[in-house]
Amino acid sequence: MIRKEINKISEVGKALISVEGNPGVALNHVVELLNADSNQSLSFAKAINISEDSTRFQVFNGTQGLSTKTKIRIHERPLTAGFSKNMLGRSFDGIGEVNDGGPEIIYEKQLSTRLDTLNPTVRLVPKQALWTGIPMIDVFNTLVKSQKIPIFAGPTEPYNKLLSQIAQGAKADVIIFAGIGLKFDEYQYFKNELSKSGNMDKTIMFSHLAGESQIKGLMLPDVALSVAREFADQGKDVLVLLTDMTNWSNILRNVANYQDMIPSLQGYPGSLYSELAKRYEVAADIEGAGSITIIGATTLESLEDPVPDNTGYITEGQFFLENGKLKLARSLSRLKQQVNGDTRNDHRAIMTAMASLLAEAEKAYEAAEVGAANDPFSQKLLRYRKDFIEKVEEPFGKPLQLEEALDLCWDILREHFDAAETGLSKKLIDQYWNK
Amino acid sequence: MMKNKRTGTLISIQDSLVKARFYGDVIMGETAEIAVDGKMLQAEVLQITPDPKKEDAGIAEMQVFEDLTGAKIGDEVEFKHDALSVLLGPGLLTSIWDGLQNSLYPLSEQDSYLKPGLKAPALDEEKLWEFTPSAKVGDALKGGDAIGWVMEGRFEHKILVPFTIGKCVLESIIEKQAVNIKEVVAVINDEQGTRHELKLVFRQAVKSPIPFQERAIPNKTISTGVRVIDLLAPVSYGGTVGNPGPFGAGKTVMQHSLCKYALADIIIMAACGERAGEAVEVFKDFAELSDPSTGESLMNRMCIFGNTSSMPVAAREASVFIALTVGEYYRYQGYNVILLADSTSRWAQALRERSGRQGDIPGPEAFPMDIPDQIKGMYQRAGADSATGGSLTFIGTVSPAGGNFQEPVTQATMDATGGFWGLSQDRADAKKYPAIDPLVYTTSVYDSFISWEDREKILQVLNEANGIDQTISTIGLKKVPVEKYELYQKGQTIDFCVLQQDAFHDLDACTRPERLQIINQAVQKLIDQPMQYSTEGMDDEEVKEMIKSKFDNLRQWWKEWNTYAQDEEQIETLAIKIDQFILQEEYAS
Repeated sequence: MIRKEINKISEVGKALISVEGNPGVALNHVVELLNADSNQSLSFAKAINISEDSTRFQVFNGTQGLSTKTKIRIHERPLTAGFSKNMLGRSFDGIGEVNDGGPEIIYEKQLSTRLDTLNPTVRLVPKQALWTGIPMIDVFNTLVKSQKIPIFAGPTEPYNKLLSQIAQGAKADVIIFAGIGLKFDEYQYFKNELSKSGNMDKTIMFSHLAGESQIKGLMLPDVALSVAREFADQGKDVLVLLTDMTNWSNILRNVANYQDMIPSLQGYPGSLYSELAKRYEVAADIEGAGSITIIGATTLESLEDPVPDNTGYITEGQFFLENGKLKLARSLSRLKQQVNGDTRNDHRAIMTAMASLLAEAEKAYEAAEVGAANDPFSQKLLRYRKDFIEKVEEPFGKPLQLEEALDLCWDILREHFDAAETGLSKKLIDQYWNK
Repeated sequence: MMKNKRTGTLISIQDSLVKARFYGDVIMGETAEIAVDGKMLQAEVLQITPDPKKEDAGIAEMQVFEDLTGAKIGDEVEFKHDALSVLLGPGLLTSIWDGLQNSLYPLSEQDSYLKPGLKAPALDEEKLWEFTPSAKVGDALKGGDAIGWVMEGRFEHKILVPFTIGKCVLESIIEKQAVNIKEVVAVINDEQGTRHELKLVFRQAVKSPIPFQERAIPNKTISTGVRVIDLLAPVSYGGTVGNPGPFGAGKTVMQHSLCKYALADIIIMAACGERAGEAVEVFKDFAELSDPSTGESLMNRMCIFGNTSSMPVAAREASVFIALTVGEYYRYQGYNVILLADSTSRWAQALRERSGRQGDIPGPEAFPMDIPDQIKGMYQRAGADSATGGSLTFIGTVSPAGGNFQEPVTQATMDATGGFWGLSQDRADAKKYPAIDPLVYTTSVYDSFISWEDREKILQVLNEANGIDQTISTIGLKKVPVEKYELYQKGQTIDFCVLQQDAFHDLDACTRPERLQIINQAVQKLIDQPMQYSTEGMDDEEVKEMIKSKFDNLRQWWKEWNTYAQDEEQIETLAIKIDQFILQEEYAS
């Protein structure tokens, strides 16, 4: 096949180029940019909007060094992601090219990166808990296979450490690490942690470092999730670590801005919700096949920022990390009800009782700041709150089995309250209070 | 009637928005199909403009309901004449569709993934329905008149003359027999002399509401089973409710509770731009639950539009209108229908994405300037019909950005609906579910199961208790007089034992009006009667300690009553307990 080539780029901007007229390229199809003199390949690019007057492309490697003379070669296909089991243990960039210096990979197949929606009827209702050994997750916000859930945290919180710790416990067949806008030390941290725990052989790392081409960062989740989906279609339980989706959203914002799109909130495009949903919704437990669980990280200044806000509406809850603790009040696992009814008979009740006491305690804490918590019950609540934060909200303590964690909860209640103050039923009190 | 094939060619493609050049005529709002790599993708005409380059041509701007990857300039567009429509007829119930009424189970036999161009019939084309004619040859009819009926499960489903047909005369009709939806059951002639073959099904344009026969004010309260709603913020058959809340405040659980427990003939769920898993839970897990009025599978009274968040955004707008039209159809048939739309914010965002791409001048938060009118227009399609006895109740969830109720969609919804269930972040943080804040964000124009005075009294106690709570937080318990503290404890008890409800507990999850009356009587007594106790030898702080401990015990008892009291004798214990509590008699537990 003779490949069609174009010689005239009319516009070179940040991350984007345009040509006049339409060279016959289809929407979302890729083209290759070549040095006009040496024919050396410079980058691939994707057609994002086309009309009979002009065609615009996103350039994967950025536009630095491109000129109006740069040659464009048309490939009549959309961006695909190579797939092979030999990718396990290896590291790739945002468009799926090997970046660990190792040998090239011979791919078994090329995957579409379009991330078509899974037909809802082939989804299974998730019913299998993933135990982490972290009491705040296992007791209060149980993680469930096929869940999509981010860690919400300020930029200086140890969210990567938590992400890594959850990943080690989750017992997946395959771990796909998808890092966008990472600092080099973050990238290295994950690599070391996964190697240390012996998980590297079942891990594929896709990474985009801060400062690398934005378009590569933008494409990364699609490439990583397409590979994850292929493993799941082959029957594997896949865990995807997506960090940090705020970086990704910011790239989306930048590129929308280069494309002169009308911004909605804080400069983000109106499609932010749909774009995030398209990626997170890949998480699924698939009938007759495997599953994909997505645990993400979303850094934030405030919960009301558009990225965490939109994410919260998409994901099945969130783990909220603040001052190094997993905070009960703002953490939520929407799927916990699917699994916490079949555990120990006190599980749901203790969860509810401790949560409402903690909410009371937070009020007492605020009152105490103005010297208004001098009554005996408020004092009990304050002592309870301190204990709760130290023992239950601590994510990096000694890993506990669920039963151990529940017993810890009873210990704490017993230490601080009379049985009737807990709101727990008489039946449970009889069973566990004097155990 | 044969129509000439009318076509155009693509001249511009941007995300889901395309422009096509055409010669001849194009109708605003008509649907079109675009041929991309041998697949036919569905689209809808949004705007028609002159072609600046070719004098005899025009440009049709369209939104495409499917992913356009691979589309090229010059690809052919075929205009289909008809506006976006929905197929109405027997078999709608128990169905699960995408946002454009493609049936999802048949689609899954073609592929596990929803690939562009895949189609499936909206209704089962082979299934046989026992048709019983009710009209006779020579009868004068008009659009909306019945010519016969079939049984759709327990529902008598009338077969109607399509609403677009005017006065007509019945030329022929089949005898009582089993037919599928492809077979002709009757022939009519309209006044223009046009002959129409009628089947069990017909198509209805989704933006043309099915008319009321006699529109009436909604005045019969729905038992939703949710205590805080049925007591304080009720909704009537044919009413409208906006249900906004920040994420994590419990909108989904609320929707699921309504699906399971609200007393209605039919529930339509429009999962519009929300999580797929939640729709799946409804049609997979709820199928095993039983309908509160009949004991049959819950799915027998439901149909679901699963246009979830990762599906093409253009179909999101369509899905709500399609669901509304199905609701109107069953209302016209005389049934009480509840439409749950989750979420209208995603619907509004779809309009925002589109208007942004079209380059419209944006209104607040970049929403289209006319979004309040569009929202009002949508809710207006709900209502009660006194002639048919049917109703369509519209409960729309709203997902305000940042949980801020001042944003345009929430504000427009408050303006458009008769009831408002605002979910509060503070209550959700304290795990007080359902997190509807009875003081701040509840309004309703509909009648409750309890008297207006009782309702006002409850709200007043909650309000005062809330005020005392704030006093305690700012100046401490010591400064609060004993009687105020008792009132505070009463408010806390009503909140904890009545308004809060465990949606996952078999018994507690749903409270019917009879039980609600008993609870209300207990609540009213608790409010009216001062507690009788002796305070001899105690200072105020000790008295408060004592009051707290007594109320703690009451709450523990009452909370448990919620979860076990079923037979008459058990239910009666609540009234006895309250009497004993007020008199502070010793009681056996």
